[in-house]
Amino acid sequence: MIVCVSVVGHQNNPLYIQSFTDADDALKLHHVVHCSSTSSKSESGTTLNEAFLGLLYPTLNYKVYGYLTNTKVKFILVTTDLDVRDTDVRNFFRKFHAAYVDAVSNPFHVPGKKITSRTFAQTVSNIVGSYGLN
Amino acid sequence: MEPDVSIETPSIIRIAVLPIGTIPPPLLRDYHSMLLRHHTIALSAISSFYTEHQKSPFTNQPWESGSLRFKFVLGGSPPSPWEDFQSNRKILAVIGLCHCPSSPDLVSVTESFNVACRSYSSALVRRCFAFCPGDSQLEDGDKKGENLILFPPSDKQTQEFHLQTMMQDIAASLLMEFEKWVLKAESAGTILKTPLDSQASLNSEEVIKAKKRRLGRAQKTIGDYSLLAGSPVDANAHYSTALELARLTGDYFWYAGALEGSVCALLVDRMGQRDVALEDEVRYRYTNVILHYRKSFIQEIAQRVSPLSFELEATLKLARFLCRRELAKEVVELLTNAADGAKSLIDAKLGYQRKAAFFCRQVAQLYLQQDNRLAAISAMQVLFMTTDAYRIQSRASVSKVSVNNETGTRQPDAGKMHHHSIVSLFESQWSSLQMVVLREILLSAVRAGDPLAAWSAAARLLRWHYPLITPSGQNGLASSLANSADRLPSGTRCADPALPFVRLFSFPLHSSQVDIVKRNPAREDWWTGSAPSGPFIYTPFSKGDANESSKQELIWVVGEPVQVLVELANPCCFDVDIPPNSAKVITLSGIPTAVGPVTIPGCTVHCFGVITEHVFRDVDNLLLGAAQGLVFSDPFRSCGSAKLRHVFVPNISVVPPLPLLVANVVGGDGAIILYEGEIREVCINFANAGTVPIEQAHVSLSGKNQDAVISIADEALQSALPLKPGAQVTLPVTLKAWHVGPVDSDNAVGGGRNAGETQEDQKTELALHCLFTMQVQIWPVSNNGDPQEKESVVPPGRRLVVPLQICVLQGLSFVKARLLSMEIPAHVGDNLRDEDIETESNTDRLVKINPFRGSWGLRFLELELSNPTDVVFEISVFVQLEKSAKEDDSSPVQDSPEYEYPKTRIDRDYSARVLIPLEHFKLPVLDGSFFTKDPPPGTPSSSRHPSFSEKNTKAEINGLIKNLISKIKVRWQSGRNSSGELDIKDAIQTALQTTVMDVLLPDPLTFGFRLVRNGSETKAQSPLSKGSVLSHEVTPMEVLVRNNTSEAIKLNLSVTCRDVAGQNCAEGADATVLWAGALSGISMEVAPLQEARHCFSLYFLVPGEYTMVAAAVIEDANNVLRARARTASPNEPIFCRGPPFHVRVTGGEM
Repeated sequence: MIVCVSVVGHQNNPLYIQSFTDADDALKLHHVVHCSSTSSKSESGTTLNEAFLGLLYPTLNYKVYGYLTNTKVKFILVTTDLDVRDTDVRNFFRKFHAAYVDAVSNPFHVPGKKITSRTFAQTVSNIVGSYGLN
Repeated sequence: MEPDVSIETPSIIRIAVLPIGTIPPPLLRDYHSMLLRHHTIALSAISSFYTEHQKSPFTNQPWESGSLRFKFVLGGSPPSPWEDFQSNRKILAVIGLCHCPSSPDLVSVTESFNVACRSYSSALVRRCFAFCPGDSQLEDGDKKGENLILFPPSDKQTQEFHLQTMMQDIAASLLMEFEKWVLKAESAGTILKTPLDSQASLNSEEVIKAKKRRLGRAQKTIGDYSLLAGSPVDANAHYSTALELARLTGDYFWYAGALEGSVCALLVDRMGQRDVALEDEVRYRYTNVILHYRKSFIQEIAQRVSPLSFELEATLKLARFLCRRELAKEVVELLTNAADGAKSLIDAKLGYQRKAAFFCRQVAQLYLQQDNRLAAISAMQVLFMTTDAYRIQSRASVSKVSVNNETGTRQPDAGKMHHHSIVSLFESQWSSLQMVVLREILLSAVRAGDPLAAWSAAARLLRWHYPLITPSGQNGLASSLANSADRLPSGTRCADPALPFVRLFSFPLHSSQVDIVKRNPAREDWWTGSAPSGPFIYTPFSKGDANESSKQELIWVVGEPVQVLVELANPCCFDVDIPPNSAKVITLSGIPTAVGPVTIPGCTVHCFGVITEHVFRDVDNLLLGAAQGLVFSDPFRSCGSAKLRHVFVPNISVVPPLPLLVANVVGGDGAIILYEGEIREVCINFANAGTVPIEQAHVSLSGKNQDAVISIADEALQSALPLKPGAQVTLPVTLKAWHVGPVDSDNAVGGGRNAGETQEDQKTELALHCLFTMQVQIWPVSNNGDPQEKESVVPPGRRLVVPLQICVLQGLSFVKARLLSMEIPAHVGDNLRDEDIETESNTDRLVKINPFRGSWGLRFLELELSNPTDVVFEISVFVQLEKSAKEDDSSPVQDSPEYEYPKTRIDRDYSARVLIPLEHFKLPVLDGSFFTKDPPPGTPSSSRHPSFSEKNTKAEINGLIKNLISKIKVRWQSGRNSSGELDIKDAIQTALQTTVMDVLLPDPLTFGFRLVRNGSETKAQSPLSKGSVLSHEVTPMEVLVRNNTSEAIKLNLSVTCRDVAGQNCAEGADATVLWAGALSGISMEVAPLQEARHCFSLYFLVPGEYTMVAAAVIEDANNVLRARARTASPNEPIFCRGPPFHVRVTGGEM
């Protein structure tokens, strides 16, 4: 089960962060996302062929996966599933990337600012809902 | 990466030591130290336990000299992904330690041991040592399986012996397991992988290659096991095969691994024998190892996995091997390389710092769960480690060097943000996390009793996150700030500023209008060119564009107070000396004490009981961030202050003391109120308030209405020079108030700088304010008289601007002026000669009315003045007379050139008239020169008088008028003890313009009557007979005609006599006057400027008042006369009429 998704800007600033749990652990998830977003310095040096960063960070209760767009915006996925298939996560990130592109293509969106679009939020929760079903 | 590696590490067997059940820690330590003694078991000692008698793969096992070596890992370790690559990384055995009295149930002990072993799948041997079993336990101990070994209670020596035996058993078991494994691997083969290997499927070509590779890797692993089994010769053989295969298949990583193993085998084989050849061999091989590890670096997956740690380990191993004094340089080089590599390894770790922060915070939370002071201190210290990662670090922890660098580079690129600041701004979007951590620091600091840390955390929380904190939360923070401050000694400094936000507002250019002037030593008048051209200190034209102004410099002088304006904002809901949600500008002042450049990076604020430094740059960055939308809110804007504006920061330099002159106007610095035309002397006091004597001073005026200053007693200033410090000099300045015109009053008021401040005077809109400045340039006495030094370093001069604010009130206001004429008929008397009368009248009044001559055509200039002020004015008119202009005037007044009329008093709010007689301004000769305006063209007269048209007579007449006007002075004296002159020249000129001819020019002919007494004209006359005529008597009279022109005039004279009713009484049937001689049609010619007389006699029948009037028609009038008479056509007769003369006829007394 996905508990949190987040968009992190290229300065490691949070652009969108949404948790999908009933419990009051948003802050904990913020912390997890925060420590999963990497310092920009270590990434700028290397070139990656793949957007999918793989498993970033296994903690006791969560697994954190990352995805880096070509504009250095990172998507972060926090899940409680212990057995995760790479393909599921890749699929999820592909859909999430498409939704993100739609959201920032909005002419009223200011790049680098927080994403406030309700449509984006709806799309994201749909993607999260459909994760792991197929 | 394991830091304690050595070259021999591959030959050491790892055994996990796990406590099973509960063991008191001291006992666990005891058991562990017992185990440690058995880290090496000789092969010779285990032969009794070695039960395998199949053919051993380790054919060259040195049973006599070899040994197995162990490394006990207390608590175990997680499986390494590199286990396949280096078999020594595997946990090959597990030893459980159990304390039977603490864990009475051996069944559960066995179970928990099995569970614990499950995570060590690589373990080949498992044993659980149970110490101190009870009797019952001993009894059923054997049933619990072979892995549980009970150590019956006994003395220490026995127990150790028992343990040694058990270790030998384990060693033998391991050896047998190794043999089994190697046999299996040789026959069936094995698949060995490392994280470096790609997970992608292979194509057919690669399958063949992969097969060979697999063989090579298997050989390498067998070599590893041989080494662990204590058989270096076997190991070496396998490694050689592995090296061959790895080289063929390009499997550099495994090649390096095999090479490393072979070196280890070599060393184990030699068993501590070291010589130079061995050392060289090891060095050579290890250099190769490092090279191949480096070769195996795969860029694509470097993010995820990298052989870098193996390269570093190899470097460390070599360094450790070589570590001797003789080789220090080599070792240092190796270690330096290793350190560099290690750094990049750390950098490559994703989110290393943040992960550390994450765990630190979890540790801190655990500490905070304990409610005691020591735990809180620990929590605080752990949390401090996270502050860098969350970008909430205290300013104190930011290194001083970087702060200095940033302040240093501030000037050139003010307005740009530094990378560091930008990152901070972006990080501030994690504000929820930052707030949580800060709050935890605050909580732990409060619990730990560290008031400064608590203050600092609360300050950071409040300053950077106030928009997200509720008013009650803000109040809570404010009270925790106050509480912390109570526990701190007064005067404590904290690196982190709290409230308010402070930004630069402006730099006042110079206090007290004292300007510094660069002196040009080459010029005498060194101040010229440096003075502002306009009336104001700031002129928009003298400033260039923005680029130029950015280079502007501000000069401060040592010892003179300076000011900086800063704006404070308090966006929070409580009072910080500034009301909530408000901003204000305050002035900071100080006195420079040393010469040199000055930068103002921030200011010190004492707030909430603690002194903090507020750096302007931080606030500027915050505001820029707010402008770019990175930060929540701009504290100044939310307080209603103006938008972010660029405050220009000048380069400030402090110069040595300069002379300082202070001026004040005696009688107050307010506006000097003057009535129009008032003349007043104002004294200005100059005092040298500096510490340097003043050698030169020059006074000049600038601004509007400079001409109001009539004189400046400059010599008073010059004579006082050099002005010693503290000395004073008074400079009198004479002012004359100018005329308030209706037009320029607006301009002047608008231009007056302080006009707004004295608006109350302007209620009638009659007041005029103006500010003009007096400038005094001064410069100090040079320190020594050496002229060369003077040239090289010229101390700057200074300009002192003394604003003289003059408020001119309208005093008397001029209403209108007009010319009045008055006619007083003359009496016909004996004499017309003025000299006689002159002797009789000693009056020095201007208008002397000769009753016998009359004052026909007397003109008065009437000035109507009103007094709108609240004081009384007294007006006196002075008229200057010039003797030269009145050659033939009958009243020469040489000894009194001015006539003063009685004073006219005008009360407030009244108007009054002043009369100025103009009679005496008649010209003696009617000259053609006055009529050049329109000489009739073609008239013969113009040819007769060639000079007639040439004269520029208009200018002359204007000059005459001016001359006339300048003679009239209207002086006033107000009830306020002030006096002045009324400027009414324009008014008089307007009034005169239309009637100037009549006023100035004499008539061409003047007429006079007189009685002709029988006998001598000069006989003495009695006053009685004077001027009186008896009736019924023949009265001989004569009429005198005077030609006032410069040409002879032919005329036709006639005389009429009228009675009081105005009837002509000399003609007609009922004439009351009989006459003899001719009364009409008398033709005569009068020479120029001469008189002609015509005699006749009258006989009055009835006594009474009669009027004699002479009139003449001029014949052959020339142009001059025509122009004077204003005739329309040249044919029109010119008629001259004399003034009436009264004749009093008394009745005959006979």
